[in-house]
Amino acid sequence: MTLVETSDSVIERENTPYLSTFKPRMMDWSAAKVFATKNLRIAIRYPANFVIWGILPLLWYAPYLLMMIAIAGPGTSQSFTQLSGFDDFITFSVIAVFVYQYVDKSIWSVGNNFRWEQFSGTLEPLFVTPVPRISILVGAAFSDTVQCTFSATVLLIVSSWLFGVTYAFTMIAPIVVMLTMMVFGLYGFSFLLAGLILVFKDPSVLTELVSNITYVLSPITYPLQALPSAVRYAAVLFPSTIAIIAIRELAITGLFQPIVFLQAFMALLGLVIAFWIIGVLAFRWGERWTKERGSMGGF
Amino acid sequence: MTEQDTDSFQKMWSRRGFLSEIRAAWAISINVWKVELSYPLSVLWFVLMPFLWFIPMLITGAAVAGGSQSAVLNDLAGTADWITYIAIGTSILGLTISIMWGTGFSLRREQNAGTLETLMSTPMERSTLVWGSMLHNLQHGGLGVILQLGAAMVFFGVTINAWGILPALGIIALAIIGLQGIAFAVTCIVLLAKQGWMIVEFISSGLLLVAPMAYPLSVLPPILQYVGMASPLTWSVEGFRGFLMNGLAYQGVVQVVITLIVLDVIFFIFGSLMFRYTERYVRAKGALEQF
Repeated sequence: MTLVETSDSVIERENTPYLSTFKPRMMDWSAAKVFATKNLRIAIRYPANFVIWGILPLLWYAPYLLMMIAIAGPGTSQSFTQLSGFDDFITFSVIAVFVYQYVDKSIWSVGNNFRWEQFSGTLEPLFVTPVPRISILVGAAFSDTVQCTFSATVLLIVSSWLFGVTYAFTMIAPIVVMLTMMVFGLYGFSFLLAGLILVFKDPSVLTELVSNITYVLSPITYPLQALPSAVRYAAVLFPSTIAIIAIRELAITGLFQPIVFLQAFMALLGLVIAFWIIGVLAFRWGERWTKERGSMGGF
Repeated sequence: MTEQDTDSFQKMWSRRGFLSEIRAAWAISINVWKVELSYPLSVLWFVLMPFLWFIPMLITGAAVAGGSQSAVLNDLAGTADWITYIAIGTSILGLTISIMWGTGFSLRREQNAGTLETLMSTPMERSTLVWGSMLHNLQHGGLGVILQLGAAMVFFGVTINAWGILPALGIIALAIIGLQGIAFAVTCIVLLAKQGWMIVEFISSGLLLVAPMAYPLSVLPPILQYVGMASPLTWSVEGFRGFLMNGLAYQGVVQVVITLIVLDVIFFIFGSLMFRYTERYVRAKGALEQF
């Protein structure tokens, strides 16, 4: 670099207000917004993905519904009604499958976000930018939530049509509140996962493991009461469990019970706070651990 | 290069024949094991996978059946023991997924690792690369079958007919031929589309949906029943479960075995030809190493 080029770059740096006024901070919302916009722009380039992700999960969950029909006959079973309080196990399951899409997305997309950046060769450049990593993750999480909302809605519409189930549309406002709380909780969970993936690298196995365990714990095709009591306690510590139960109750019965709703809301709020603290701390630990060993770009 | 090196190279290059191909396939299979076992989490996943797939089905079934017997299943499939029916039926799920995904994407994995062209220039048949991966997935998925069935017998009271074990293994051998045909087709998609995982996901999920692993075909809509009947996986599951539940001779065994053999021949020939022409086409276009 010549003397002239050096002085030019010094002048340029002095003229860049962001760098000259930069101070480390906890969260950079503009970076999160830029990252979310970038991810959404890429997603919009592949519009078929929204439809595909609205149909593909149906192929994964339909075997459970068909198995229920093969064992208990079409739609209802005395044992299921006694255990869950609901008559129709298909209606019971389809709404939970819809809610579970957000859990799946938080595990496969947000948790693996830095791994995808690593595959694209952009992880190390991203990590030298002067923005908090959490803001990058929040941006990725937000764009994934938007994409998931489209796909999950397609899934709900197609499943409702195929299986002939209906839900109380009037309960959409409290359902959105519950979904939002759950999604915030899942953000914390995905930060935790992102930290673990930075450390363990091989994302497929870890993600499969976490995804399958959360699936077992989530009361999707069975009520919480069907799980052994010790597992039930573990299940309610995961944000989606309370949300699935509350949303299912609202969507199927069409009844809004303020006290029950408030209880579920407060429980979710507690989980949101807990998961954000655990998630942010775990991610920071994972990042530091990886940087200290110089294995950030390693596979 | 010394004269001795040239001789050994010539010897290696001229070493052709079935045994050499088997040795090459075996070496590929061992190589994949070494890679997998170098990730501790992979080992943990391998042990837990059969349980994590089976447990939600078991809990779901228990919630709707309320016991270990199902009168509805008895009417549909001729057995009321739904736990045994599902445990045996789903035990080959892992094997199927291993073969379809593991084998189908074997060339893509080598491509990602930067070793595909090197492997393609070795003096072995191109299809041996896919066969080697299949051999590994047969061992990997086969151990999963044993693990799931063993756990189902110990923990969930599943019983199998000992007389049916050998013929059930024969069904697995037949299943491998048909599935290898599908794996060849999947490999073609990967070679042509490179990131063709979404197409493969649709094909594999579709085949698993119409396979009677956890439910008989009769619960499917009629059009899907026809699709199911044209899949070798359907007859593999029926044969495998039929032998393990009922022993050597049960009603419909001849139909299952003959249909499976016919479908195996069709799928294998179709898959092999597809692979042969696709691999040539991709090499002629110079697109082997493209991403």
